Order: sequence, then structure tokens, then C-alpha cells
Amino acid sequence: MSWIREGELNLIEKLSANILKAGPMPKHVAFIMDGNRRYARKRHVERQEGHTQGFDKLAETLRWCLNLSIHEVTVYAFSIENFKRSKDEVDGLMELAKQKFIRLLQEQENLEKHGVCIRVLGDLTLLPLDLQQHIARAVVATRTHNKCFLNVCFAYTSRHEIANAVREMAWGVEQGLIKSSDVSEALLGHCLYSSNSPNPDLLIRTSGEVRLSDFLLWQTSHSCLVFQSVLWPEYSFWNLCDAILQYQLNHRPLQKARDQHREEQALQQHEADRACVADLLQHHGNGKPLDAQRRQEALLNYTASREERVQDFLGALQHKRDSFLTDLTSQAALA
Amino acid sequence: MAIVYEFVWQVLHVLLHIHRTLITWFRIRLRNWNGRLWSRALTALIVPMALSFPNQKNIVPAPGKRVDRRYRWGADGKSLEKLPDHIGLLIAEEEPRYTDIANLVVWCMAVGISYVSVYDNYGVFRRDNSRLMDEILKQQQELLDLEGSKQLCVEFLNNGTDKQDQQVLSCQSVLKVLSPDDGKLRIVQAAQQLCRAVEQRDKTSKDINVTVLDSLLRESKSTPDPDLVLKFGPVESTLGFLPWHIRLTEFILTRLFKTLL
Repeated sequence: MSWIREGELNLIEKLSANILKAGPMPKHVAFIMDGNRRYARKRHVERQEGHTQGFDKLAETLRWCLNLSIHEVTVYAFSIENFKRSKDEVDGLMELAKQKFIRLLQEQENLEKHGVCIRVLGDLTLLPLDLQQHIARAVVATRTHNKCFLNVCFAYTSRHEIANAVREMAWGVEQGLIKSSDVSEALLGHCLYSSNSPNPDLLIRTSGEVRLSDFLLWQTSHSCLVFQSVLWPEYSFWNLCDAILQYQLNHRPLQKARDQHREEQALQQHEADRACVADLLQHHGNGKPLDAQRRQEALLNYTASREERVQDFLGALQHKRDSFLTDLTSQAALA
Repeated sequence: MAIVYEFVWQVLHVLLHIHRTLITWFRIRLRNWNGRLWSRALTALIVPMALSFPNQKNIVPAPGKRVDRRYRWGADGKSLEKLPDHIGLLIAEEEPRYTDIANLVVWCMAVGISYVSVYDNYGVFRRDNSRLMDEILKQQQELLDLEGSKQLCVEFLNNGTDKQDQQVLSCQSVLKVLSPDDGKLRIVQAAQQLCRAVEQRDKTSKDINVTVLDSLLRESKSTPDPDLVLKFGPVESTLGFLPWHIRLTEFILTRLFKTLL
């Protein structure tokens, strides 16, 4: 299969993988695949060749991740900032993406066998229409697969993603599905492009740069960051093992920090609900102060109704997103 | 077989911990040894010079040492091609050392960094910022002379207002004390504000974009995003540090304070 290289690990690799798997393993790894152009310069080949080799390396890395039982991978393929590059390079990358998605669609059987679910995160409306249609077909075709997940960030920046999530919540308010007081950290997380995935446990950036470059800024606030100096097309199984080892060494303190953050979030939500209930009682009450039990009942009722509103809104949002993709696929079918 | 792998994994991690501890120990010893070596070398050079030129001013650092240090640091800063406008200090240690952090803040400001942010993921500095403030003032007086403390002024910016913009202009450097509430929670509050505006029909959802959200999240128009973040502590993570603002920030992740100071 072109997107996941076929093959197994050799004996030493298998041994190392088994040793690593004795400890805590990341369930979701994110890659910033940096270094294709530098690699091309180093090897004195065309830039386009560097990007092609980069894609091949992605296929190999996905194979390694499956061997290591890492079932979710997110990759930063194309940033909105990359549109500023030369027209030739951008066109070349769009063409490469189109070919890869077309090839993917030809391998439906393999995809089903491996249970691969492909998702594309980003503002697809910024891409050429034919590429949008191919992407939509690939995503819709693999929607129901659930053995492993590949999230490709294309025409993506984290700030656009967060702003889009806020816009979606505002749309929910406009439609009367939710109130502005329902807006919370959890709800914003559910409105991101990556809402169907858990947060990455490990973020790896290659080529020695030590920036996040507008990638998953919200989702990686408590992830293990590993910056490696190897260029992406030269990435090896041992680089991956090194990154996983870093994750294992940081696992406990990160888990503690994550749990603490979750507790604080829950506390903030509870306080927000209490404030809303107090407000409601003030406006709709008959002036008599309620006893503690009635207040508690009111709070529970409010929380339950808020959660129901939020679920309905998220359902409507998912439907909106699915419709966008199915519209594209039917356009493609008609064309 | 699984037991064998687990045993090997345990051994591997014990070896890694020992390796890390040894490296840290060596780095601290080397820095201390180097320090003594340099001071001995300097003394060996300076004493003959002082003896051979009795008419010259006393070159050996004396009570005027603090003035020399301030000018030297300022000169060091100017000699660098490019200085970051805004440095973030991310303290990921369980027990932050106030004196060391204060030292770092004073050094940053002496070298000419306009904005310094201090962050810890428990929100300790935010809740108890008077202790940090006292420590910084103390270090300013110790490391630089009193006159210096007039030039370097420290402002605590909690919420951007026009009034604070004016105060900032009169200061050479600005210190911001941050906590996780300044990160995701600020973004959520901005989102609530925008949704309320939509509820009251002051805005539509289509009006919301990156620029609008950015202007709400910026403390003041003049405060730049962090160019560089130095992380101190055993955890390799941003731990919730200003997610919106760090899109192009460079990170230097170090494990221990002592190896840097």
C-alpha cells in the first residue's frame, strides 16, 4: 500500500520494539516532518524530489508506528503559511498530494484490511477544487474504519483552527443551539478539526528547528515535545525509538500535570454552572432564598440541560462537516 | 517472554537515569572548576599588569565592580547581532527557586530584553507575586547598583488596559507574571465575549477570524509574542504556556537551573 509501507521489522528492531512496549507507549504521535528541502539541497536533487522522499519516509514511519502499536498519527503536511512559497513549489506540492490521494483511493481493499481511517484537518476551501474532491472521497471512504487513524494537516494552522472553533460556537449561538455561557474549554476542544482524536501524547519535530510553527498549539499543551536534528527524509526507526524513550521518561510528570489541569477544568466548569444557576434563580425566582437542597437540584438540572444542549450542538456540527464532504464527493461523481 | 522484556526495560530506564544524573553532576562540576580556573587566570594576568603600571587606574575589580558589571552586560547585549524582544521563562520545577529566577530576570533586563515573562504551571508566581517582586528588587540592588534600579523598572501586567500602556512606555523593561489561566482560559474567555456579542446581534459568526481573536488576546498592542522560551525543569513540555502566542517561539528545554547559571 502506497501510504503505509508493507514489511516487518528485522530481529533487532523487533527486540527493541518489544522492550519499549514493556513501558508506557504513546497512543497518538504527531510529527512535524521538517527538512525535505534541506535534504534535497544536501543530495543535490530537485526540491520536488525532496518532498517525494519525504512522503516515502512518512509511509515507512507509519509502518513503524503500527509495529509499535501506535494507532494514531497526525502529520503536518502543508501549512497555510506555505502558500507564500513560490508558485512552482506550491503547485508541485498540490500535484503530489493529488497523486497520493488518487493512489489511496485505488487501494480501497488494503485500507479496509488494515482498517485505516484517513482524516484531513485544515481549511479545505483554500485548496484547488479537484484536490478538495479527492480528499473528500478518501475521507468518506475510510470514515468507518477504526483500527488505525492517520490525520493529515493540510492547509492548516493552529490559530485558524482555534478561530474556526470559536466561529463554529458562535454559529451554534446564532442557531439557538447553545448559549454563550455554554462556551468552555471542553466545548472549544470539541469544535476543533481534531475533535475526533485524543490529544497527542508525543510531538516530534525533525531537522533541528525548535519551534511549533502553529501546529496543534491547543492540543499539545501537555504533550511530550521532542526536537530531533535529523532531516525528515533521513528519519530512522532508532530516531523514533529515541523519541518514545523520551516520552517514557516524561510520562509520569506529564500524567500528573494533565490530571491536575483536568481537575481545574472541572472545577471551573462547576463554578461557571453555579454562577449561571444563581443568575437564573435571581431573575426567575420569587425573591425567597432557596434551601441548599433546592439549589443543588437546580444545579444538577442546569448541568444536565447544558450537557444536552451541547450534545445536540455537536451533533449538528458533525452533520454540517459530513455534509460538506459528501457534497464534494457528489460533485466529483457528477464531474 | 513478556517478563523478560519488562525486566530489560526496567534495567534500561535505571541506566538512563544514572546516565542523566552523572552528566548533570559532571556539568555542574565542570562549570565550577572552569569558574575557578578563569578567576585564577585573570588574577595571574591582572596582578603583574597592575604592578607594572602604577600610574594607571586600578584595573582589578573593586567596589566599582557593580557598575562594571552593568556596563559589561549592557555591552554584551549590544554586541549580539539580534536580541529577542520577549523572553519567556517557563519554570517546570516542583519547588521554584526564587533567587535563581530573580537573577535570570535581572540578567535578561540588564542585557536589554524589553519583555520578560515568568510562568509556572501551578500558578504559584501569579498568586504570590510579591515574593518574586521582592526577590527581583533585591537582586537588582545586589547585582547592579541602586542607580541601575531606576532605569530597569518592573511592571506587573495582569490585564491590558490603556493606562498600563502609558506606564509601559516609561519603563525600559517589562516583567509579566503568567499562569495557566493566561493560556487556554484566556482564549475561552475571549470566545465567550465574541459569542455574547453574537447573542446580542452585535456581530455575526462570519465576523470571527484570526485577526479578531488575536486582538482580543493581545495584552496590549505593543507586547510582542515570545521570541524565545527557556524551560527549566524535568518535564519536556510547554505545560499550558500561552498556547495562542507561541506559534513561532523558539524553545530551549533544559532540565536543571544549575547547569545554566
